[in-house]
Amino acid sequence: MKKLLVGFMIAAMAMTLLVGCGSAGDSSQPSTNNGAEGKTDEEKVLNIFTWATYFPDDILKSFTEETGIAINYSNFSTNEEMLSKLETVQGGEYDIVLASDYIVKMAIDKGLVKKLDKAQIPNYDNLDPSYLGNYFDPDNEYTVPYGVGTPLIVYDPSRVDVEIKGYADLWNPALKDSLVLVNDARNILGITLKTMGKSLNEEDSAVLEEAKSKLMELKDNVRVLDYDTPYNKLLEGEATVGYMFTSQAATCLTVNPDLKVVYPEEGLGFGIDAIFTPSNAPHEKNAHAFLNYILQGEVAADIYPQILYLCPNKAAYEFLPEEYTSNSAINIPEENRKDVEFIQVISNEASDLYNSIWTEFVQAVG
Amino acid sequence: MEKRRRHDGSFFLAMLPLYVTTLVFVLLPVLYVVALSFMKRDATWGVTSEFTLENYIRLWDPIYLKVLLDSLKIAVKTTLLALAIGYPFAYCMAKLPPRKRGIVMVLVIVPFWTNALVRIYGWMILLRANGVVNTLLLEIGIVDVPLKLLYTDGAVLLGMVYSLLPFMILPSYTSIEKMDWSLVEAARDLGAGKMRAFLTVTLRLTLPGILSGCVLVFVPSMGLFFISDLLGGGKEVLMGNLIQNQILTARNWPFGAALSVVMMLMTLLFLFVYRKSTKQSQPEGMA
Repeated sequence: MKKLLVGFMIAAMAMTLLVGCGSAGDSSQPSTNNGAEGKTDEEKVLNIFTWATYFPDDILKSFTEETGIAINYSNFSTNEEMLSKLETVQGGEYDIVLASDYIVKMAIDKGLVKKLDKAQIPNYDNLDPSYLGNYFDPDNEYTVPYGVGTPLIVYDPSRVDVEIKGYADLWNPALKDSLVLVNDARNILGITLKTMGKSLNEEDSAVLEEAKSKLMELKDNVRVLDYDTPYNKLLEGEATVGYMFTSQAATCLTVNPDLKVVYPEEGLGFGIDAIFTPSNAPHEKNAHAFLNYILQGEVAADIYPQILYLCPNKAAYEFLPEEYTSNSAINIPEENRKDVEFIQVISNEASDLYNSIWTEFVQAVG
Repeated sequence: MEKRRRHDGSFFLAMLPLYVTTLVFVLLPVLYVVALSFMKRDATWGVTSEFTLENYIRLWDPIYLKVLLDSLKIAVKTTLLALAIGYPFAYCMAKLPPRKRGIVMVLVIVPFWTNALVRIYGWMILLRANGVVNTLLLEIGIVDVPLKLLYTDGAVLLGMVYSLLPFMILPSYTSIEKMDWSLVEAARDLGAGKMRAFLTVTLRLTLPGILSGCVLVFVPSMGLFFISDLLGGGKEVLMGNLIQNQILTARNWPFGAALSVVMMLMTLLFLFVYRKSTKQSQPEGMA
């Protein structure tokens, strides 16, 4: 009996270990309209699928208050998780999906995305044309750009003696054991390629091998690799220089305005998280109503200071608060915005090479 | 107790839900993973059902062999440390009066009602540069500059041992507690010293518990990727990290599956060795 009890307790404890790996999970089951009611008379429901908190709560709440459309918000934690779920439900279940450019491109190529009906989104014209017509949607048929970002270098000038102007300065031996970098093969190998004057999307294996030896020289400078919360490492003082995504860099500055942002002279990486409607979205009309709602200048001006991404909505510019527009991770000078480059999907062979180089690098760091 | 009504029809009926859940939630996913590991990945996304051994050949790349070796190393270290702490703990616990024993048991169990992730974050708060431990050391004057405690191999090992220690304590305790102490007395009466009696009688008789604790600690310690991510600062690639990375970000599911198959085979191997060495069909403490 005792043995049974102990066994049971071990099993129970093993469960608590396992749940550590799960994602935040879906709080609510999306409800599906079986189509019987027809387009004109959709039930008042909208199923949103994106990262947790990417659409701020107050925006969702005021949308529901204004339109009477209830929102089911489901989370994913990686783009890849999103696409495999969307594939499983064959482009159904969800009405609004918000994910990164490259995966949106994959979804479009797989026929999982529906063309937008611009007539239902008059506020589409509020979008700044400089964020439109990108590689994942060259004719602006499928997507609405939402979160725009570019990874930046942030450092603590009170604890760093060297001058930092670009990616190449991260290799400075004076920065031994002081970097926090996003834990991502494409981004870090990407900036290594940039220091060599190459593209973020380099596929040539000889060039990649060269980048590998260059990257290996960086290993002694790395203190932490962290994809989700690199800003904490900088704010807590574990690291003094960081390379991280826009919203993370902006967070650093909001908490500690004394930190400095660097727009690397080698050129910036660039990314756009975009919204689309899946091919079999059950509440298409509500989805369009939602898009039109968040594209209003004043609503957008409420969103961006909360999510700390660059705002692609020109009607919002006049309403954006000063503390947001003066954040140097957000307010990137025009000259630095010219030669930005997207991280795009590359061949399987190249992708495998990036990943094995990255694995080897991480081993060398540890 | 075990032989009761094994071939009875009603017994089968009562066990049916168990068989069905095992089949659906254990066997099918495992078969899926095994099948996946022999497939090719599609151009940009997903897999094609084309047979290939390429995923298993790739395992022999020195980079991935090193990952396996590193994982084994940390698993061995974790197991040995857990044994060194857990066994004496269990021994003392079994020697306590029953009421106190219960209290200690509760103290071992209670932390596990909190999610493992939360407890690891707790360690991060303790260990970081401006954390509790460093502040204390600075206050007392033992160190002048904060020690780099977090994001080190030591922190990972600490987290592993901390998370898995009860899996060593409980089986050892069960073994020690049910042991017949009169045998130790007999050995002592026959002239064995304390140490000798412990080594020849106590240790020998509680070996199944020890080995079962080792299996229970060793196997999961190769897969707990979030501990090395959080306490090691993402600077360690263990089998768990590699699988997570291949599946979630590298989009190479077949290779991730092949790595998982290797992990499963290793687990089976340990269970087999355990069975051979103790002649027990199930690890002690796993009723």
